[in-house]
Amino acid sequence: MQLRIELTAIAALTLALTGASLAADLPPGTQFHASQTFVRSNGSEPESMDPAVAETVPANQILRDLFEGLTATDTAGKTVPGVAESWKQTNPTTWVFKLRTNAKFSNGAPVTADDFVYGIRRFVDPKTASPYATTFGVFLLNGLEVAQGKKPTSEVGVKALDKFTLEIKTKDPVAFLPELVANTQLGPVHKATIEKWGKDWVKPGNMVGNGAFVLKDWQVNNRIVVEKNLQYWDAANVHLTKVTYLPIEDQFADIKLWESGETDYVYQMPPGVFDKYKAQYPKELRNQAIIGLRYYDYQTKDPVFKDVRVRKALSMVIDREILSKRVTADGQPPAYSLIVTGVVGADPTPYEWATWPMDKRVAEAKKLLEQAGVKPGTKYSFAYNTSEYHKKMAVFVASEWKTKLGINMETETMEFKVLAKKRHDGAFQLARNGWLADYNDATTFLALVRCDSDQNTNFYCNREAEALIQKGSQSTDAAKRKELLTQASKMIMDDYPIIPLVQYSLPRLIKSYVGGYSELNPQDHYRSKDFYIIKH
Amino acid sequence: MWSYTLRRILSAIPTMLVVITVCYLLLHATPGGPFDSDRKVSAAVLANLEAKYHLDLPLWQQYLLYLKGLLQGDLGASFRYADWTVNDLVAAALPISLSIGGIAMLLSVVIGVGLGIFAALRQNSVVDHFVMLLGNMGSAFPSFVLGPVMIIIFAIALKWLPAGGWHDFEVRFMILPIALLTIINVSTIGRVMRGSLIEVMHSNFIRTARAKGLPTRVVVMRHALKPALLPVVSVMGPLAISSITAALITETVFSLPGLGKLIVNGAGNRDYTLVLGLVVLITVLTVTLNLLVDLAYAWLDPKIRY
Repeated sequence: MQLRIELTAIAALTLALTGASLAADLPPGTQFHASQTFVRSNGSEPESMDPAVAETVPANQILRDLFEGLTATDTAGKTVPGVAESWKQTNPTTWVFKLRTNAKFSNGAPVTADDFVYGIRRFVDPKTASPYATTFGVFLLNGLEVAQGKKPTSEVGVKALDKFTLEIKTKDPVAFLPELVANTQLGPVHKATIEKWGKDWVKPGNMVGNGAFVLKDWQVNNRIVVEKNLQYWDAANVHLTKVTYLPIEDQFADIKLWESGETDYVYQMPPGVFDKYKAQYPKELRNQAIIGLRYYDYQTKDPVFKDVRVRKALSMVIDREILSKRVTADGQPPAYSLIVTGVVGADPTPYEWATWPMDKRVAEAKKLLEQAGVKPGTKYSFAYNTSEYHKKMAVFVASEWKTKLGINMETETMEFKVLAKKRHDGAFQLARNGWLADYNDATTFLALVRCDSDQNTNFYCNREAEALIQKGSQSTDAAKRKELLTQASKMIMDDYPIIPLVQYSLPRLIKSYVGGYSELNPQDHYRSKDFYIIKH
Repeated sequence: MWSYTLRRILSAIPTMLVVITVCYLLLHATPGGPFDSDRKVSAAVLANLEAKYHLDLPLWQQYLLYLKGLLQGDLGASFRYADWTVNDLVAAALPISLSIGGIAMLLSVVIGVGLGIFAALRQNSVVDHFVMLLGNMGSAFPSFVLGPVMIIIFAIALKWLPAGGWHDFEVRFMILPIALLTIINVSTIGRVMRGSLIEVMHSNFIRTARAKGLPTRVVVMRHALKPALLPVVSVMGPLAISSITAALITETVFSLPGLGKLIVNGAGNRDYTLVLGLVVLITVLTVTLNLLVDLAYAWLDPKIRY
C-alpha cells in the first residue's frame, strides 16, 4: 500500500512534460548571423559512428547530433523529452514512454517503438560487441544475461506496447532511467538501412538517423560534416545549418586553429595556459567543472597498503588547493570525496581534515604512520602514463610526501595501454587514474570502489557498504536512496581505497558569437541543436 | 639491368615475410591489448569483442588468417577506427602523405643540390658560410618549434595561410607543411652535396679537366656533378621514406590526416591490423626506393653495373 502511494508521487513528478518547443531559450533581442555554420574541435577521431558501438566522448558528441534517444540532454544539462514526449514509472521496475508521432528518420520514415526495440536488442547483442553493452545493459531486465550470450536478445526488458508506446523493464528500480535513455546507445536505429548496407550503414550517403543533423562528409582524421536534418521533428528550432567536427588531438594546434579563425570552439585547453588565455580572452575562455574525478588508486591487496592508517596519512597531506591553483592550474576544483560536486544520487562526503590547517594534517599523518610502523625513507612505487599533465601532478605529490612525511615515491612512467593493463591486473602499488561519469548518478562513481566491480582497480571491498548500496538501489524513495548511497560512499572513503585529487573541468575557448553554450552541463553533453551563431 | 630488377623484387618477398612475422609477434607481445582502456570492459564484452576480431583464436591461426587476407590484398579491419578497413584508411591517407612528402622531397632536392653546389664552389666565402648557417639552422631547430613559429607568423599574425587542416588538396593548406618538410630536408641534402662536391672538385680527374682548359661550368656539370651526387642519392632514400610515412610532427602541428598519424595512433591503440598494414606499406616503399637508389647509382657511376 505504502509502495503504491510512493509510486503515484513518483509518476506525478516524472511525467507532466509536454512536447512544446524544447530548443535553447534565446535571449531576447538575439540577432542571428546570416550564415549559421559552426566549426567545432572534437578532440580526436571517433572510433565509430554506430551508436551501438561508440564508446568515447568525441564519438558520442557527434552521435547526439545524428541520433536522438527517448530523452535528450539540453544545454544546461537537464533531461528533456527527445523522441518520447512523456513517460511514467508504472511500478518500481517498469517505465512506459509515450513517443511523439511526428518523429521521423532522415529518410522520412516514422520513428516507432519497434525501432527502439530493435536498437536496444542490437546494442546488447553479443554479435554487436558493444563496449557499453554491460555498462548500460546491466540496468535492463535480462540485459546482462543477453550481453553474456546466456539469453536471446528478445529477452531484454524492452517492448513495444503499440506503435508509439514503449515499455522498458529494469532489473532493479532505476531512478535515473529517463536520463540514461538519453544515451544514443539506447536509442532507435533504422533496421532496413542496417540490413541493406551492413557495416557500411554509418557512411555518409548510407546513414539514416533521427537526430537534428545528418551525416554529410566523413574523412578519417580530418573532418566530419553534419547538416541540418529537415525531417527532424523540431527542425524549426534548429538554427545551425552545418556543423564541422575536427579531430584535433594536439591541444596547442587546437588553440592556434581557433586563434587563426579556422575554428569556433576549442575542445580542451592544455594544462598550464589557463591564466595566460584568461587574461587574453576573458570573454571567450569558458570553464566548467564536469562530473569526473582525477584520483590515485592504492593497490589495497598489496601488503604495504593493507593498513588504512597508511592510506589515510598519505592522502591527507596532499595540498589539493596548491595542486589545483598552481600545479594543474586549469580551473579544476580540488576534490576530497569520491562523489564530486554536481552528481545526482549522493552527496559529496569531503573529509573532515579538508578544512584543517596543513600543520595539523601533517602532525596527524605522522602519528598515523608511526602507529602503523612506517618509517621515514619508506618507498612506494607509483605508475602513470607518459603525459606532461600526469607528470606535473606526480612530481607535486611526490614532493608533498617527501617534504612532509619523508616518504619516497618512485615514479614509473609508461605507455597508456601498459598502464591500463597494469591497473586492470592490479599490478601496481599506486597508480594514476581518472573517471568521467557514464551517466549522472552516484553509482557510476561507486563502481570504482565496489566489490566485484569491473571498474574497481584498487581491489577494495567493503561488504557492509555494498549492502547499503544494494539496499539503496532497491529503494524507490529518492531521498532514502540518496541517504543510503551517501552513507555508503562515506563509509568506503573513510577506508581510503583511493586518493581523490581534483575534479575534472573543461576549460575551452569559444568565439563570443557562438550562442547557446552554458557552463551548467555537467557531462559536456552539448548538442549542436542548442547552438546558434549571433550576428557579428 | 632488368633481370637485376626482377631478382631484387623477388628477393623482397622473404624480406617482407620476415618483417611481417617479427612485427606480428612484437605487437602481440607488447603489454596491453586493443581493448584495454580507462574503462575496463566486462568479461562478457571482452569475449564478444575478441570473437568479433578473431582474437579468440590461437595466435598461429590468427597469423595465417592475416597472411591469407594479405595475399588477397585485404589488410583487415581496423580496431581503432571500427567502421573502416585498413585498406580504406591507407587509401585515404597515402595520397595526402605522398603529395606533401613527395613535393617536399622534390623541392628539397632541387634547392638542396643547388645550394650545395653554390656553397661548394665558393668554399669558405661569405656565401658558403651563409648557406652552411641556414643548413645548420634547419637541422638544429626541431620541426615542433619551426612549425608553430611558421603558424604564428603566417596564419595568426599575417593571416595569409590557414593554421592547419586539409581541404581536398587545396594548395593553401599544403604550403606550410611542405615548406616545413622542405626546410628540414634541404639542410641535410645541402650539407651532403656541399661536402661531396668539395671532395670531388679536389680529385685528379677534375684537375685534368681543368688542365684541358674546360670552363668551370662544364667541369662541374659534366664531370663533377654525377660522382658528387652519389652520397646525396644515398641519403635521399631514407629521407623520402621518412617524409612520406613518418612526418608525424608535421602532421600533428598542421592537423593533417596523413600516414604518420595513423601509425602512431595505430601503435598507441594496439591496432594490430592497422600497424601491420602500414608496416607492409612502408616495407614496400623502402624496397622500391632502395631499388631506385641502386639503379641511380649505376647511372651516376660507370663503375657500378648490374
